[in-house]
Order: sequence, then C-alpha cells, then structure tokens
Amino acid sequence: MRLALALASFVVLIVHGVVFYDQFFHRWERHQTAYFEQARSLTKNEQDKAELEARSPRIEQTIVTSFGDTRVDRCTTCHIASDDPRFAGHARPLKSHPYSAAMGDVQRNGQWERRHKFADFGCTVCHDGQGRGLETKFSHGEDEFWPEPLAGYVTQATWRKDFAPKLKGKEYMEAACAQCHTAENFAGTPNVNRGRKLFYAMNCYGCHKIDGISEGTLGPDLTEAGKKFKIDYLWESVVEPRANSAASFMPKFNLPEADVRSLVIFLKSRRGVNFAETSLDRYKAHIENVAVVIPPGTAGEKAGEQLIVDRACTACHKLRDHDGGIAPDLSYEGLIRDNTWLMDHFKNPRSRVPDSIMPTFRFPADDFERITAYLATLKTPPPAMPPAETYKALCERCHGEKGDGEGKVAWYLDPSPRDLTKAAFMNSKPRERFVASIQEGVAGTSMPSWKNALKTEQVNAVLGYVLTAFTKEPARDLKPRNLPDTNPVAMSPASVKHGEEMFLDRCTGCHGRKADGKGPNSLDINPKPRNLRNTAFVASVNDRRLFDSVLYGVQGTAMPSWIDYGLSKNDVGDIVNFIRSINQKKGSQQNAGL
Amino acid sequence: MSTQTPEKGARSALREMPSNVWNSIFRNPLPSTDLERASTSFTNFFLHIHPVKVHKNTLRPIYTLGLGLISLFLFFILVATGILLMFYYVPSTTQAYDRMLDLRGTVAFGIFLRNMHRWSAHGMVAMVFLHMCRVFLTGAYKKPREFNWVLGVILLLVTLFLSFTGYLLPWDQLAFWAITVGSSIAGYAPLIGQQMKFVLLGDTTVGQEALLRFYVLHVAVLPAVLVLLIAIHFWRIRKDGGLSRPEQPKGETIVATMVLEPGKKRVYGFQGFIRGPFTKVGNVPDDSVYAWPNLLLAELFVFVLTVSLILLVSLAFNAPLEEPVNVMHPPNPAKAPWYFLGLQEMVSYSAFWGGIGIPGLMVALLLIVPYIDRGTKGVGRWFAKERLLANTLFLTLVVLNVIFIIIGTFFRGPNWTFVSPF
Repeated sequence: MRLALALASFVVLIVHGVVFYDQFFHRWERHQTAYFEQARSLTKNEQDKAELEARSPRIEQTIVTSFGDTRVDRCTTCHIASDDPRFAGHARPLKSHPYSAAMGDVQRNGQWERRHKFADFGCTVCHDGQGRGLETKFSHGEDEFWPEPLAGYVTQATWRKDFAPKLKGKEYMEAACAQCHTAENFAGTPNVNRGRKLFYAMNCYGCHKIDGISEGTLGPDLTEAGKKFKIDYLWESVVEPRANSAASFMPKFNLPEADVRSLVIFLKSRRGVNFAETSLDRYKAHIENVAVVIPPGTAGEKAGEQLIVDRACTACHKLRDHDGGIAPDLSYEGLIRDNTWLMDHFKNPRSRVPDSIMPTFRFPADDFERITAYLATLKTPPPAMPPAETYKALCERCHGEKGDGEGKVAWYLDPSPRDLTKAAFMNSKPRERFVASIQEGVAGTSMPSWKNALKTEQVNAVLGYVLTAFTKEPARDLKPRNLPDTNPVAMSPASVKHGEEMFLDRCTGCHGRKADGKGPNSLDINPKPRNLRNTAFVASVNDRRLFDSVLYGVQGTAMPSWIDYGLSKNDVGDIVNFIRSINQKKGSQQNAGL
Repeated sequence: MSTQTPEKGARSALREMPSNVWNSIFRNPLPSTDLERASTSFTNFFLHIHPVKVHKNTLRPIYTLGLGLISLFLFFILVATGILLMFYYVPSTTQAYDRMLDLRGTVAFGIFLRNMHRWSAHGMVAMVFLHMCRVFLTGAYKKPREFNWVLGVILLLVTLFLSFTGYLLPWDQLAFWAITVGSSIAGYAPLIGQQMKFVLLGDTTVGQEALLRFYVLHVAVLPAVLVLLIAIHFWRIRKDGGLSRPEQPKGETIVATMVLEPGKKRVYGFQGFIRGPFTKVGNVPDDSVYAWPNLLLAELFVFVLTVSLILLVSLAFNAPLEEPVNVMHPPNPAKAPWYFLGLQEMVSYSAFWGGIGIPGLMVALLLIVPYIDRGTKGVGRWFAKERLLANTLFLTLVVLNVIFIIIGTFFRGPNWTFVSPF
C-alpha cells in the first residue's frame, strides 16, 4: 500500500513536471528569439540593436474593431516579422508578408507602404483562421471543429481526400475580400464575380435564395452559406448534390472544375451582413424582391427567345443543341402544349404536373407571356424518319435508350416514364390505349400529346418499334373483362365514407394515407404507386379504367387484382367515388385560387 | 503534549517559537499511544469528522472500493479547478466561446484546468453512480441507513444536474445542442414540462438567458446544495453507526455512560447515547482500529490515486471544443451528454415514457427502496444470497440503462439511425 502510494505520488509529480514544461516553454518563444537575433544582426543602428536586446518574448496581438465583431489576432506572436521587409526571403513563420501593388500597396521613396495595414485589419479578416490560438493546429484552423481554416492554405483532415487538393489556392481568399469589396466587377475578386454570374447562368437562383440576389424557395437559403459551411462542404454540395441529402433533387451539373471553384468562392463570400453594409442595408436586401432585368427594346417572341437564354432555361431543359439534361425537351413545345397550358404551368408548374420539380419562378407576367409566345412558335414537326430514329429523337430522353424508362431525365420526373420493356404490362393493355397515350398525352404527367407532331402512321410505326424492340414478347389476345363503363354506385357521402374506409384499410400501404402515392411500401416499388391526388390525371381516366386497375390489378406493377382479395364491385365503386371526391375538392379549390 | 513550564526569557521564547506555533496549531504531537491517536482525531477540526476508531471492514478496499471517497475528491478537484476557471469565464453568448479559445491557447495552464474540470466532472457522475451500485449491492441502505440512502439518491441527481448545467458553458455546438436535446426531454413532462423548461431556459430556446441561468446554477446554487447535502450525508454516516458491515453475534445496545480511560486527567463524558449495534464504546473487544493512521492513510491513498488518474487523463486528452454555436445548423445527430444518452435513446422510442415516465419511476423506486425492502439479512456483503431478488432486479435496471447509454453513444448515427462503430 505504501509502495502504491509512493508510485501514485510519483505520477502526480511527473505529470506536474510535464505540464509545467508544456505551459512555460512555447514554440512561439523560440520563433521570437530567433527573430530578435536575426534582426539584431541585420540592423546597423545601435539604438535599434539595444531595443531588440531589451525585448523578450511575449504574446503579440492586434485587436481589430473596424470589421464586424471585435477580433483578437495573435498571429504576429509567431509571424513576428510579417511587417518587417528585411525578412522577405526568410522561411515561414519569420517571413514578411509580401507587398503587392494589386492589393493597393504603394512604394514611396523606395519604401513600401501597405494599403491594408495590419494594425487596422489584423490577419483573420482576410485570411480566416483562428486569431486567438497560439498553436499552429488551432490558429491555422487545422482543428476539424474550426469553421474557417486559413483560406486556401489549410485543408482539414476530415475533408474528403478527393476534394482537399482542389481547395487550396490563394483565390479562396477572395471570399474574404468580397466582405468589403462588394462591387460586382471588383477587379480583385474575379472568382466571386464569375461565381455570381454562374449563379445566374446555371439558374441556381431559380431554387436558391440569397438576400438581394435571388428569390428561389425550392432549395436551401444560401444567404449565409459562407458563414455556415466550410468550402469542402460547399464543393461537395455543388459537385454531388445528393452526397449529404439522399432526397435532394438538385441536378448534378457536371461543371468544369474552374466553374465549381468560382461558385464555391462566391458562396463562401455570402456571410449575411458583410463589412460593407449596415444591418439596415441587409434588411432592405432581405425584404426587396429582386428586380428582373428585361432586355430593353426587345418585344414579343424575340424577347422570349432572349429571356430563355437569360433565364438559363436550358440549364435544365433541352432546346436545340443546348441540353441541361434534367427537364423535358422544349424543341417541339409549340406542337405539344398550348398557350394556356404553358401560362398555367409557368405560374405554378404543379397546377399541371402535380409532382413536377420545376421551380415557380417569380418573373413578371409579361416575361411569361413573352416566353410562351416564343415557345408557341416552335412548330416545326420532326422530319419524317424511320421509327427507330423517331424514338431516339422524341422518346429516348425520358423512356431511355433501352426503353426501360431510365432516360437521362427520368430521375427528375414524377411519375416516372413507363418502362416499355415490361411485357406483363405492355401486353395487358389494348393497343388503342398506347396509341391514345402517345397522341393525347397523359394528363398530369410529363408525357405530352404528340398528335400535332406525329401523323397517325408515324405513331403506329413508333409503337410497333417499341413493341418489337423493347417489349419483345408478342401480344396475346386479351380476355374480356367484366367492367362497367361508368361507376354503378352513385356518388353520395355514405359511399365516399365507405370508400375512404376501404381505402384506409387496403390501399394506404402503397398509395399512402394521403393517397399521394407515398405510402411506406412505395419506396421499394417500381413503378411507383400512382399519386391519386394528381387531379389532372384522375380526371383524365374513366371509371372503366379505374375499375379495371382495381379489380383486375395492373400487370407488371405491384398493384394486385383486388377481386382476389374479396373486393366486390360495390366496394370498388365506393373507392372510386372516394378517389373522385378527393380530387373534386382539390380541383375546385385550385380553380377558385386561379 | 509538552506540559512543562517554559523557561522565561525572550531568547528561549524565540528558540521555542517553531514548536510552540506547531503545537498551538495541532495541539497534539504525532501520536504514539492509543490515547494520543484518539486525541488527535478528536482535537483536529479537519480530522474531527472521522470517528476515533473505525471497524476493520470499513478499511477493506474490496468492500467499499473507495467509490464514495473518490466522488468526494473529484468534487474537491472540481471546486478547485472550477474556481480558477471562473476567473476567466464570462457567461455571455458573445464572449463565452472566445474565453474557451483563450483558455486553450493563451492562458497559462488554461487548457489543463479545463481538462481536469471536464474529466473530473464526467468521472464524478460515473463514480457517484457506481457508489450507489456498491451501496445497493452490499445492502447498505437498510435500517438504520435508509435516509442516508435517500440523501445519496438526491446527491446523484444534484451531481447530474451540476454536470448538465456545466455542459452548456463552453457555448460550442456540442454544448448548445446537448442542452437543447436535454431540456427538450424535460419538456415532455406532463402538465409542468413546458413551464419547467421555460423556467430553466428563461426562454423558449437555449440562448443568453439559459447560459446565465445555467452559470448561476452551476457555480453558486448547486454547489451550495451539494456541499450541504454532502455534509448531512457524512454526518449521517457517523450517526448511523459508520459504514455497514456484516452482522456480528448479537450485541446489545450499549448506553454510553462509561468513562474512557479512567484515572487520567481528561474525562470524556458522552452527552447522549449512541444507538444501534454498530458502535462500540469503551474497551469492549471488537474489530475496530484507530482512524489515525489507518483510515487516514487509506484516504490519502485514494486521494493521490484519484488526483494522479485525473492528471494523467487531462494530460492525454483535451476537453472537446467544437464549432461556435450555430443555431441554424444542428449537428446530425444532436446528442445529449453521455449520461443522458440512455434517456435520449429511450426518448427515440417514446418521448413521454423514455424521457419522463421510466426515469421518473426509476428515481421514485430508488428513493423508496429502503422503505420497501425491510429485510435485515445480507447487509455488509457483496451479492449476498439473501438479497438475490433485490440485487438481480437492481442489476437488470443498471445493465439496461448502461446498454441504452452504449447504444446511444456508439450506435446512433445521422437521424438516430442504427450505425455500427466498427
């Protein structure tokens, strides 16, 4: 016991020794001593020599009060020669900060004079990092918890290895410059300026809000993105939008690296109130709707064409040789959509395609009219070509090269394009149904009506191509099914109530409690369960088809034949009445709203 | 005891001054006889808290494991480091985090103070809890120690609350979101939950008011309460007859009217009588030894061990300091302090039952257990056969709690989904 006591006491002693050593012998003292020695050897002036002789190591600090919250920058404790031009050639940390005419430094009588005096600016205002720390790890922000590591110099250990090398470079400091130099064309911040232009050009503004710049509401507000996020997170979010949120529907833009860098630097410069503005300016920017710049002197269709370019519609849509790879092709818009549809869709895309991801852009009504006028002129039908070519030109973008519904924009469409390779489905429906879908389109979805673009023979030819090339299995004769043409159960509150009970009992697992097709099982089902609140779609199908789908199921999908599960025709009639009732209500409300 | 008449004269007064000063302070020389040993304990303010003699069982390390003492010494370390930290801390949302950076970067011994305070706080929560387990598993809460057990449970709660209030003070992301989660759990209490949360935070969310309240609770209110309760806790140990120990052949209640060491100059008359079969007075043959030096040495050993462990841990691991508070950017997942993670894990199943119902029941059960379990068998032994049922029930609850804490700490990832730490 006494031995253990002695040992424990010894441990206490040793730890004290280590702690005292650690607390009294600092790295920065060595840097300062080295600086004093070298400065003494460099100076010829006896008085300076004596002064240096008298100096002993101490913590140096600059208290910065002119730029936002008070900062305490102790960087010069190690970087003690930062303002001593004689140390220009030394190694860090005893290297003097370079002078640069571009930064506004001027040479007077052979002596450089700084524009950004360290006594006023400190260090972290421009460089970021943590001014209070005295250990490299903390002061340079290598510590993973520090939100602002030295811009362009330090990457943190937790950052993704494939991004980290791209996050170095002096240009990242421009984000800090832009806190004061807010002019859009300020020469010192080319990346911020370029990033701002890209923010418009790539249509980021359609979804994201930045106070004073944009009004988007679909994506996260980026007004304080630079304050909240580190550059690795910003880079990742631009390059791989779904890396952080699997549910994000932000498109993957595949931008060149230089563009990503500019965007990241621009976003890093968005820090809420910057040094150049008052809180009142910030408030004004917050409440003001962003003015839309209409190109002067252009009118009608011409203006519309210009607007499509300015508003970067092709960041998502395809128009001639521009293809954003996210949203449908606009090349034949004048043939496949009418003006009312276009205007309704502009004002609220979800009024026509309830699950569309297209942002509701807050352009003036004039602009929408101009764009509509321009789109209406796109009336040149595709040239006559073999059906395979027609499929490639018109259908492949959504239905995919292999006809499996996995076209390049399919991920962004809801409901998904039909998988044409599923023979079970394709062979369970009469040919007329497909012809009708192609000619009339499918209401409430992205499938347009092609009857103005394709002649009947062309439609049949393409359908024939699809059935032979993708469906492959030859069609069988369909057994006649015993289906009523109209719902035999009259619409009544009692019927709706019973229908709702049946629906809640049987259907919510896939179609969801809200009947929006998002039930708990829907995640694992392909194609997705139908959104039964898609009013346009529900209105477009007749009772016979609803009865068919419920009673006999939809082959090639997860919808079972409910006749096998004991649903009577009257039950289905009640369910159909329920589905109609939820859409009636929604429809009338919507109409009242419009 | 020097009782000779001192020589006259300034010179001799000067010569004897050191020993006079020493004697005036300590009253006794280093003891060599039993009477002196007893006298040493009796006459020294700091030692007076000890009994003159303690039962041998009290000194068996394997019986107590020193857990109560370790808790006490951790509390001493916390008071000492806490007072030093108070010199540097400002309970303001704009300054607190900067002060943490200063402590870490600039203040001499700052980071070390913070490490010691942090790890001692975690250690104290763990040790108080283990101390409670020890007391339960040795059946030491039984008559006449029922009320001291109740005090102990309250002390555990105060310790938890102290640690919880201290958790917010660094004002980093870890602190902010842990307290946000923790205070939300309190908000699930029926009827008074929301009001309680509001009184605690001084606001609907964690902010400046909450920081100030937590600070005052942490540095003034709760330590005062804790010190008072500890004092009563210790006093009761003495009055309840020392630490529990196995029963001995039936002893009678001895009314202490005997006179110690008759014939000597001093006469010790007892003012009352001491109850219970645990305290022997006078020269009754028993298994007790003098507190000086046996108990003191044991205490010193535990103290040095505690201090050296805390020092080593503080040297090896820095107290965490995460990003400055960002109210708009919660970490995913936001976790409560580890000792509340069992609660948070249960809350993820049911807000009321996990956060209030079950823990409330557990505390209530702990508080009344000595009044339910009235058996007198199996006191003073670990895992006594006679106490199989009680011990099993207790251990089940403890293990469940520990499992929940482990799951909450290591197996929960973003959105509180199950992740493997391996």
